[in-house]
Formats: sequence, structure tokens, C-alpha cells
Amino acid sequence: MADHSIKMLAPDVNRAVAESVSQRLGIPLTKTHMKRDETGEVLFTIGESVRDQDIYIIVQIGSGEVNDRVLELLIMINAAKTASARRITVVIPSFPYARQDRRDKSRAPITAKLMADMLTTAGCDHVVTMDLHASQIQGFFDVPVDNLYAEPSVVRYIKENCDYKNAIIVSPDAGGAKRAAGLAEDLDLNFALIHKERAKANEVSRMLLVGDVTDKTCIIVDDMADTCGTLVKAASILMGHRARNVIAIVTHGVLSGNAIANINNSQLEKLVCTNTVPFQAKMKLCPKLDVIDISYVLAESIRRLHNGESISYLFKSHVL
Amino acid sequence: MSNNLVIFGGDSHPKLVAQICAQLDVQPSKVELGKFSNGETSIAVKSSVREKDVYVIQSGCGHVNDTFMQLLILISACKSASASRVTAVIPYFCYSRQPDIPYTAKGAPIISQRKSSGSASASTPAATPTAGGKTVTTTQRPGADSPFKSLDSAIRSTIQSPTPVRPPPTTVGSSRIPMIPEGGKLNRSGGQQTPQPPSSTSAEAEELFNAQNAGYKLWVVQAGTLIANLLTAAGADHVITMDLHDRQFPGFFDVPVDNLYCKPLVQNYIHHCIPGYRDAVVVSPDAGGAKRATAVADALELSFAMIHKERRSQLLKGPPDATLTSGADIPSKPLLQHNPPPAGAPALHRSGSSSSVSSASSSKFVQTTMIVGDVRGKTCILVDDLVDTSYTITRAAVLLKDQGATAVYAIATHGVFSGDALERIKRSPIDKIVVSNTIPQERTLAVLGKHRVDILDVSRVFGEAIRRIHNGESISMLFEYGW
Repeated sequence: MADHSIKMLAPDVNRAVAESVSQRLGIPLTKTHMKRDETGEVLFTIGESVRDQDIYIIVQIGSGEVNDRVLELLIMINAAKTASARRITVVIPSFPYARQDRRDKSRAPITAKLMADMLTTAGCDHVVTMDLHASQIQGFFDVPVDNLYAEPSVVRYIKENCDYKNAIIVSPDAGGAKRAAGLAEDLDLNFALIHKERAKANEVSRMLLVGDVTDKTCIIVDDMADTCGTLVKAASILMGHRARNVIAIVTHGVLSGNAIANINNSQLEKLVCTNTVPFQAKMKLCPKLDVIDISYVLAESIRRLHNGESISYLFKSHVL
Repeated sequence: MSNNLVIFGGDSHPKLVAQICAQLDVQPSKVELGKFSNGETSIAVKSSVREKDVYVIQSGCGHVNDTFMQLLILISACKSASASRVTAVIPYFCYSRQPDIPYTAKGAPIISQRKSSGSASASTPAATPTAGGKTVTTTQRPGADSPFKSLDSAIRSTIQSPTPVRPPPTTVGSSRIPMIPEGGKLNRSGGQQTPQPPSSTSAEAEELFNAQNAGYKLWVVQAGTLIANLLTAAGADHVITMDLHDRQFPGFFDVPVDNLYCKPLVQNYIHHCIPGYRDAVVVSPDAGGAKRATAVADALELSFAMIHKERRSQLLKGPPDATLTSGADIPSKPLLQHNPPPAGAPALHRSGSSSSVSSASSSKFVQTTMIVGDVRGKTCILVDDLVDTSYTITRAAVLLKDQGATAVYAIATHGVFSGDALERIKRSPIDKIVVSNTIPQERTLAVLGKHRVDILDVSRVFGEAIRRIHNGESISMLFEYGW
């Protein structure tokens, strides 16, 4: 790898994935300096020349002070742009505000579109993300977007860590059916679906199971786990239908609010998240959490992007 | 007031929003502002804005990034809900101060280093930057590009063995100049980032910005253009603000920017609330604010004084070296050197100070402050556009009192008062501090008491500006007469 023409930047917080990508590629992260004053305004400086270089900015934005991280990212992009970088790629495995992607209520903002506009305004030329909440978000951008998949890594995790021959893939809602069905096909397993019946007046909405889970290991698959209310309900329904055990695998483990308490009190045996969203601190509080490392997927995509090779391989196969 | 006008307020300064709406005799329109459980901002606009003239009032105070994102999302929501025009009203504009690297007389930037005497990196002869306690020495050869190689290898070696973090020192000044503080704590916790007054650094950062790396100068981000572009990208058609720190800021925008002035209010205050104002002296606390202060002084026909800070280096006795900035606290290292210094011996230094680079920069620089103008026996009125850490005005007040001023008033448009600024002002000899309410001032009143603080109300200026812009009238008279 021609490492004199590539530089990788990361902010000073949430650097775990960036550091592991840097180790994987054998290229140190560029020295940078980030200073914040009491109001939160950020002053960012790049310590090396980035003139005419291929810049990759690796950030993890998930929960907590999301707006701070977003503005820091924008300022980092702008710093590289005004320092005459040749191309700036933002590697942002968990895209912030992705859930606000349509006007489902009157006058709701489409903040995902605003995020796309802000990234391009700041100077980003390319975006690499993973498991976008809706893959149509790629259309919000005028610049190329590479939406990577966590699925190959999830498949490998299941093969290595679960008794998967006796398992069944479950989608916790109708919207995720396509994702779960695709995974089931890859593993050659059966598939089940939990459907929320629309509530009538004076009735609580019920959740119905479509499919048979008797005496099986249920693997619930979803793209995001935020407060985990849905996952917890799904787990108790599955156990109520005499499943053997229930584990959940999600790509983005946001885990905000009461999530940890909900998981600890639930019938889930395990919740596995990838490290797109940093949640290492929460692992101490919740023994049911486990992590799938996808930094090698990002590292391989950066390598291929820099060398001008195809990344289609990453959509189907996991990286060794 | 036509029913075509819709005003939304963000949650950074609800009191000012209410006051502005009272001036206009409209109700602020309903919007639900909050946060999702994962920290993302949540906005729900509750009244129709289709084909309306929308004004979004949000001051850039409090938690800046949160208020700024809230402003952007609210503008975007209104725009995509078919508002005919969206104006952003930002009384205090965040990110408007752009850090400026100080320059020498020759025009080269000064990159000042301040190393505490106990730092490990200072003990070795600083012919080359040290890396986390390890010394990487290279001998100088004619024409060698060793600064780059040694720095490069030093950086790589620090990657393998990162320097342990050091506890943060006391706050280093109020400067937004990117100087290296004496040490710092790198907050690597994966979760919340608590704001630390000094920034994070370590020996790596020190050598990073080491002026010995003569090939690469610091590249500092100036967020002004970015912020302007973000506001336009979100959909703002017009921006109204007050007393922008940088007068050229409106040029960064593609949309019209109305920069209102607090000056008429300040003049009015001086005229009515400062006893014996005709004998008072308007003082500018630094050279940059001289123009602002003279404008006030001329309007009221008062005399004027200025506080001038000078930094002069004591030395510069050695041979002139074009590559090095004059007076910077670094040992001289001419690129051509025929006798490499023996390892362990101090490299050539400019002055007769001790051999270690750890000697405080104060021995190299003499900083004098002086007053240009006469203040003895007079009431002094300090005029500035904003007070942040309050180092500037408190130091100025001490100086003025030393020089015989009888009373010191400090008038500033924006009272940011970050950190322990208010406590500092309380201890200082400032008799009265006057700020406008572009930023909420409840804490100021609580800490200093209402006898030491006066608040200028800008809601009338903004209300009148909004009314005139909505009606398509001129706002020029606001610049002269206030409201």
C-alpha cells in the first residue's frame, strides 16, 4: 500500500475502531489536536501536511453527545478540505439521524437529508457507512456512498458461536423481514417473523409470531437496538412459544435510555452488537452483551478504495 | 401585524424569544424541542408554516453544538414544510471567533512553546524532538533533511509506546491561539466527553507543533466559512445577528446577513446611567477593539484611551536566521553546520539562558502593557464586543486603577462568561459590568448581584428589525438610533 499518499484521521474520543483499522493497515493515525472550550466549541488542528493526500476520517457516532460529535466531524472534514486534501472520505459506520429519513408526520424534518447536505457542504467527497437504516439514504447524497454490510461478519459469528444447525432466524418486526430472510438463506435455516397487530380501541396491540420456534435457538436479527423495548418483547414471545433460548444480533448497538436494565431483566440470553457504535463501557454493566468486530471490514474497504479496487467482495464474504 | 409572520424559538434563550415576541405582539409558534434517548435532537413543528415568513431565534450560547444543530434542524424542517422564507436570528453567533496565529515582525507565524520545567522532553538537548522520554538524536549533516526524518520516526515511535497522560494544569490563558499548554489529559473514554478547560496534549503534540519542523506550519481550522455554509445548506435565506466579532463574516455567506449594532444602546446607557459621563474616558482593552471604542467615544464626544500590549523579545543577538521566527523559544539550529554538536551537549542557543529548552518563555519575551492616553482621576469606560474568560477586562481594570482611574465600567455586547469568569470579575476592581441579554444572564446577576451588573435589553432592536424586514422596510435607522 502506497502509504505516503493516504492519511487517516480520527477524533480524540471514540477512537477504538479507528485505532484497530490503523493497526490492521499498518498505517498510524495522523497526529491531530482537538481543543474544546467550556461552551463546547471545537478548535481542531491537523499536525501534518495533508496536501494532495487521500484522507479517511473514521468516526463512530452513536449515542450520548451526538451533536458534538457531528460538528467535530464537520470541522475535521473542513480542516482537511481547506488544507488541500485531494479526496476526503468519511468512514462513518453508524450514520447519525438515519432514522429521521422521511416526513412521517406533518412538518417533521428529514434530518438524514440535512446530514447528507452538511457532510457535502463541509467538503466530503465519499462516504463509507454500514447497514444504513434505509439504503435509500444513499440517494440523499450527490457524492458516492458505499453502504457496507455487517451480514458476512454476523454469519461468521453465528457459525462460530452458536449451535446454529438447530437455530431459526427471527425478525422482530415486519420491516426487517427482508434482512432476516437474507441471513436465513445464507445459513440455510428457517425463518420466523413477529408481527405487531394494530391496536383497536381499548386494546393493547399484540405481537404475533408467524412461524414455528419450538425447541429451537432463536436468533433475532435487526439493524439497530436503541432502548431495546422491541427486542425484549420479542424475546418473551419467543420463550412463550417454547423456544429453547433467544439471542439477538444487531448491527448498531445504540443502547440508550433504559436499554441495559431492559436487557438484564429480559429473557434474552445474549445481545450481540457490532462495534459500529462504541459501547464498551456498557459491557461492564450488562453481562449479556457481546461484540462483533467489524473494523477489519472497514480496513479492507479503505485499502480497496485507496487502491481503486472493487469492494463487492466485502458484501458477500467476510474478511479474514 | 400580518398573520404571515411565524416566529420559532430554540431553547437556548427562551426569555429573549418571549421578549422579542412581546415587542412584535405575536405569540411564539409551537414547536416541540427535545432529544431522543440516544442524544439526537428531536424537533416537531406544531403549527403550519406553509407560505409563511418564518423567523427562527436561537442564540449560540449554552451547549454550542447542541443549540447549533437544533437551529439547523429547525430551519430545515420549516424549509421542507414549504415556508416561503426562513430567517435565522442568531443574537450571539457561535464559532465566530477565529483563532489567529500571532505573527512576528517579519510576517512568519510564531508558534510559541511553553514547556514546564519538569517535562521529560526538556531535559535532553533539544537538537531533535524527543519522543515520550526516548531521545532520538541525529547529528546534523550539511544539507540533511533530518528534521523531517527524525520527526517522522519520532512520531512512529510514539505510536508504538504512547506517552502516559499527564494531569491537566491550570488554565492557560484565554487565548484561542493554538499554543501548547503545559500538559493535558487526553479523554479517551468512549462515552461522554466532558469539556476540559485545557486541551489534550502530550509530548507528541508538543513535538508535533514544534517550530523546528521548519517545513510544515500549523494548519488551523477556521470554522467560520463552514458554519456559514451549513446554515445555507440547511435552508436559511437570511441571517440576523448582532455585533459579529469579525466584520468580514457576512462575506462568507451567500445569503444576506444583517449585523445589528448594540452601539446605540451602549451610548444611551452611558448618557443616562453613568454619572459625570462627560468627563469620562472610553478605553479600548486592546488594539483590536480600538475602532469600536473610538466610534463610541466620537458619538458621545468623550476622550479616548487604549491599552496596548507589546511583546518584545530581549535577544536576537546571534546571526540572523531567515528560517527561524524571531524570538521564538527554540534553540537555533542552522541548516548548515559543519561541526555536529557532541551528543549530550546543549545545542546552540540564542541567549545566555540555561541549556534546557525548558526555560520559561518569559525569559525570552518581555510583555509590557501600557495605556495610551490619560486616565488619571477619570471614570473609565471599557468597551468590548464580548467578555469570555474576562482576562482582558479584569487585567485592563487593574491597570486602569493602578494608573489612577477613579471608577471603571466595563461594557460588552455579549457576556459569554465561560469557566470562572464571573468569580474573576467579582474579585476584580471593575465597578460595574454592563452586558446585553443576547446571552442569558441569570447566573451573572446571581453571582455579581444587581448592583454590579446592568443588562441592556436588545429585544427591542431585534423586534423592530424583524418587523421591518417582514414589511420590507429599511432597517438603517436602527444602526444610528437604536430602539
